[in-house]
Amino acid sequence: MPYFKIPKEKEVPLACITPAPVGEQPMMITGNWRIYRPVIDHEKCTLCMNCVMFCPDACWQLNEEEDEVVWNAKYCKGCSICVRECASGALTNEYELNFADGVVRLEKPF
Amino acid sequence: MASVKQITIWARGVIQDKEGRDIANGIAAAADYEGKFTQAFDNYVDLPDRVNVPLRKYARISDEEIEERYEYENANPEIVILTDATIVKGMNVLRGMPKGGTLVVNTDRTPDDILKFVPNKELLKQVVCVDATAICGGHTVDFSGSEGGIDSVGIGAGVAAPILGALVKGTEVVKLESLSKVVQNSEAMLKGYDQAQVKTL
Repeated sequence: MPYFKIPKEKEVPLACITPAPVGEQPMMITGNWRIYRPVIDHEKCTLCMNCVMFCPDACWQLNEEEDEVVWNAKYCKGCSICVRECASGALTNEYELNFADGVVRLEKPF
Repeated sequence: MASVKQITIWARGVIQDKEGRDIANGIAAAADYEGKFTQAFDNYVDLPDRVNVPLRKYARISDEEIEERYEYENANPEIVILTDATIVKGMNVLRGMPKGGTLVVNTDRTPDDILKFVPNKELLKQVVCVDATAICGGHTVDFSGSEGGIDSVGIGAGVAAPILGALVKGTEVVKLESLSKVVQNSEAMLKGYDQAQVKTL
């Protein structure tokens, strides 16, 4: 039982609660930190979702229509955590200059 | 004003922080031996304490006293040095460069491979590529903090030495003799000078 009865229109959220970000954060693009990128072999992938769970920047997302995980080149820092955690060995590190795509060219670091 | 030569070094945070600083300090110290007015400093805005973040180090060389001593960014760098080649994909490294500049890259690829990723390559006069990592192995990791960029201890113990050698081969901003007074690993510096591939555009 609550001690106070606060009318609904006077309720305020706790100070620590802020609105959750929706989508991407364009103020902090970190794709240009990458030296090595994870490359997925969809044949080997068992959709265990380890990469989705472990990626600190949520760069792996499940595409439910295609039934495969998708990589986000714009924010992946190339930390290789997903490569370590991949249970089926579907992910490998490859040097960034081997690819023409994935260019995130900023004018300034910030 | 025009006599001031601006040199910008791009490096990766933490893993190459010391190397980038060594290049800036090495150029400045070597030019100082030749009686020039010099300056070497870190960028204020970059946060170098995050692994792999692209960050800048600056050096200036001038025959006369440097008027813009307290401008804390090189707006028009004539020479841009990349301690890691993948930065070309992540940054507009030639921003502000006047026509006829030089790009020095630490890479195992050829200059043509690097130029594929440079959209504004008409600004460049030449590209210098050197495989510094192959010449002297890994990087000098140093967590002592980097603000100020004044540490003159152990300049050029890591990949900075061959990159400095390659820079001299391409541009001759400083002499090889004055550099060898500054750089610790002068053997690697000479190897970098010999093995650098210079492509004039």
